[in-house]
Amino acid sequence: MMTTQTTHDLVPEISIRNLNFFYGDALALKNINLDIYKGKVTAFIGPSGCGKSTLLRTINRMYDLYPGQRAEGELVVGGKDILDRKVDTIELRAKVGMVFQKPTPFPMSIYDNIAFGVSMHEKLSRSAMDDRIEWALTKAALWKEVKDKLKKPGTGLSGGQQQRLCIARCVAVKPRVILLDEPTSALDPISTTHIEALIDELKTEFTIAIVTHNMQQAARVSDFTAYMYLGELIEFGVTDDIFIKPKDKRTEDYITGRFG
Amino acid sequence: MKSSIEKGRSGDLLFLNLTRAFAAIVLILLAGIVISLVWAAWPSIKAFGFGFLASAEWNPPAERFGALVPMYGTLMTSIIALVIAVPISFGIAIFLTELSPVWLRRPLGIAIELLAGIPSIVYGIWGLLVFAPIFGQYVQPWIAKTIGQIPIFGSLFTGPMLGIGVLAAGIILAIMIIPFIASVMRDVFELTPAMLKESCYGLGGTTWEVVWNVVLPYTRVGVIGGIMLGLGRALGETMAVTFVIGNASIFANFSLFQPGNSITSALANEFAEATPGLYTSALVELGLLLFMITLIVLSLSRLLLHSLDKNSGNK
Amino acid sequence: MNLVARRKFTNLFALTLSLLAMAFGLFWLIWILWMVFEQGLGALSLRLFTEMTPPPGVAGGLLNAIVGSVILVGLAMLMATPLAIMAGIYLAEYGQRTWLGRSTRFVNDILLSAPSIVIGLFVYAVIVAQTGKFSGISGAIALALLVIPVVVRTTEDMLSLVPNSLREAAFALGAPKWKVITMVTLRSAKAGVVTGILLALARISGETAPLLFTALSNQFWSVDLSAPMANLPVTIFKFAMSPFKDWQELAWAGVFLITLGVLLLNIIARVAFRPHGQR
Repeated sequence: MMTTQTTHDLVPEISIRNLNFFYGDALALKNINLDIYKGKVTAFIGPSGCGKSTLLRTINRMYDLYPGQRAEGELVVGGKDILDRKVDTIELRAKVGMVFQKPTPFPMSIYDNIAFGVSMHEKLSRSAMDDRIEWALTKAALWKEVKDKLKKPGTGLSGGQQQRLCIARCVAVKPRVILLDEPTSALDPISTTHIEALIDELKTEFTIAIVTHNMQQAARVSDFTAYMYLGELIEFGVTDDIFIKPKDKRTEDYITGRFG
Repeated sequence: MKSSIEKGRSGDLLFLNLTRAFAAIVLILLAGIVISLVWAAWPSIKAFGFGFLASAEWNPPAERFGALVPMYGTLMTSIIALVIAVPISFGIAIFLTELSPVWLRRPLGIAIELLAGIPSIVYGIWGLLVFAPIFGQYVQPWIAKTIGQIPIFGSLFTGPMLGIGVLAAGIILAIMIIPFIASVMRDVFELTPAMLKESCYGLGGTTWEVVWNVVLPYTRVGVIGGIMLGLGRALGETMAVTFVIGNASIFANFSLFQPGNSITSALANEFAEATPGLYTSALVELGLLLFMITLIVLSLSRLLLHSLDKNSGNK
Repeated sequence: MNLVARRKFTNLFALTLSLLAMAFGLFWLIWILWMVFEQGLGALSLRLFTEMTPPPGVAGGLLNAIVGSVILVGLAMLMATPLAIMAGIYLAEYGQRTWLGRSTRFVNDILLSAPSIVIGLFVYAVIVAQTGKFSGISGAIALALLVIPVVVRTTEDMLSLVPNSLREAAFALGAPKWKVITMVTLRSAKAGVVTGILLALARISGETAPLLFTALSNQFWSVDLSAPMANLPVTIFKFAMSPFKDWQELAWAGVFLITLGVLLLNIIARVAFRPHGQR
């Protein structure tokens, strides 16, 4: 976790400029401007309905699946504005991965769960695939537990293990960015601790954006925090600064538990 | 005070037992059907034994009967129907759940349900008076010229081009069961959690990949249950088949162009004129056979569909 | 890139097939309904409703068949509906976990999809064979047996949708269970139960097979339930399979009437259900 740091080492992996998001006619995100820095963990906090998940789902164009949802503005990932209609979402999703609130193992074996994602973007030989899977499961701190049962169905694992499988599946594709949408909200405290430790290690290789309704979790794992309220970005800064001396009164009210 | 509570209690007891009795009637009904059919078919069962299943004879004057021709017709038409209907229903279900614009979904869904509600006699008369002439004049020759040329397999598609026959009946049956299978598939596809599908999209999957790799395996049990439901319907369908199958009790060859008979069409055509005795008894035995077959198919499908309900509840 | 391009092609191919499948399904629906309307309207005339079914070569109508069908269907609904509703009440309110409940539910599902021709055979074996003659009442009974599983199912489903809080509120007022059911639960599920009844009605209006061995048919005016009774479906069957042109025309007219009735019933059932909303 960072305290103060020179801004020289901070390279924006994702730049969001003047982002407005609509559910039909309703404006859900209002003029969002922020940078997500490479190799750092950025947390998004705020009360229910503030738009943090909506913002996350814009980054990998997940909203494309639902007619009536649209985004305006500029969202630059790896140099390209991905809000442009011409951008290939398949390529985008190879670079930006997502883990969801509830563990979502596919109805296949553990091995196939991970191979599935990789085989969509790369053609690997059998041994190269085996290596990649071992690498991914190791990164997700799951290898030792499942290495002897790779052919067993992914749905047979415990909740915490399933979520780590989803993380491994996401990591195996070697994205630049990993989006975590409340990844531990459906897990018990011990699994939660495992995953938080995982996030700390993953940030050495990936840029991470995490949405969480648990403030303490944000304080524990993130380098930067963004506080959102009613679709607006209220405050963004180094995590310690936000939690110890927030600049905006609204941020302070939320952090001290006065509401939300 | 006391009497009103007592009245309430005795009213409760009466009501409980009344509804219980009616529920029991439903239960008894099934047993009753099986028993009465066996009893009515007994003379035929006694006369022919298991040979009934293997005999292709159907000779009313000589009182020799066998189930082979009707059973072949029933099974063949149902298989043809499934072969055509399952992929089409699958395509329709995918369209309704993934492709169709939202405003179109309800009207299309209703259209499919209306198709399911059309009485089978409508399919029958349409099949005989509209479909069969066109089928015999244009489609069958084309089939004979193309698929009919394939060695061995092609012999199934040669022969008289009457427009009616086993193939025609199978096609009409397919059109009939498509709405059933499509509705079940669609209902079951919609049970797939959005988060699971989004996980696949999130990895960069295409719509087809999501359907084939996530939705279909997730709903596998329900899909099979739906197909078996369609099979059950196809096996028991009477009017749509009777009009176009050709009502031939003699087996000429394996060609699908030949007219034939199904259990239901044999019953529909011959029962009213059958002389009471061994003839009607043999016909009832046919009906019993059909009932047994559909009983097995339908029980299996219900078990499968109910187990999917339970599983999805846990997810 | 080659990999992604291939995947996209597969996707496009598969989705195009899916669109074609939908078009295929709609094609038959439109063609069949079109023919029914075209041929049926062509044969429509006042005579249909004023004259009896004629011998071939003579002009006539479908009066006796229509009347007979109305009688048979109406009688069947009258016999089946109360019984089925009561059984459905048992399943939803008393029998969720009892042995009787589970067995009945399972059996009901089987009867729901059992071939209607087998039901006809059953009634034949039990009534017609015993009494020695075909009769209208046996036809009505056969139709009733088709209605029962449908109404049991929909009644049970609709009653289960009523939230428990409603029942508890009624109990809290001190009402006995049977009153809670009849005056509160059943009433709030009324729309759905009626829909089920209408759908059952639509189903048996077009049923032919069970009548073939029970009510048979009658060329003449018949309201005698103990004798063969004229009805639309069997008449259509006989006329359509015949080689006579005027009989075939009458068959189309009959088909038109049935299809119209069934479609209307389906539409009414759906429209009646929706405004009341779920829950």
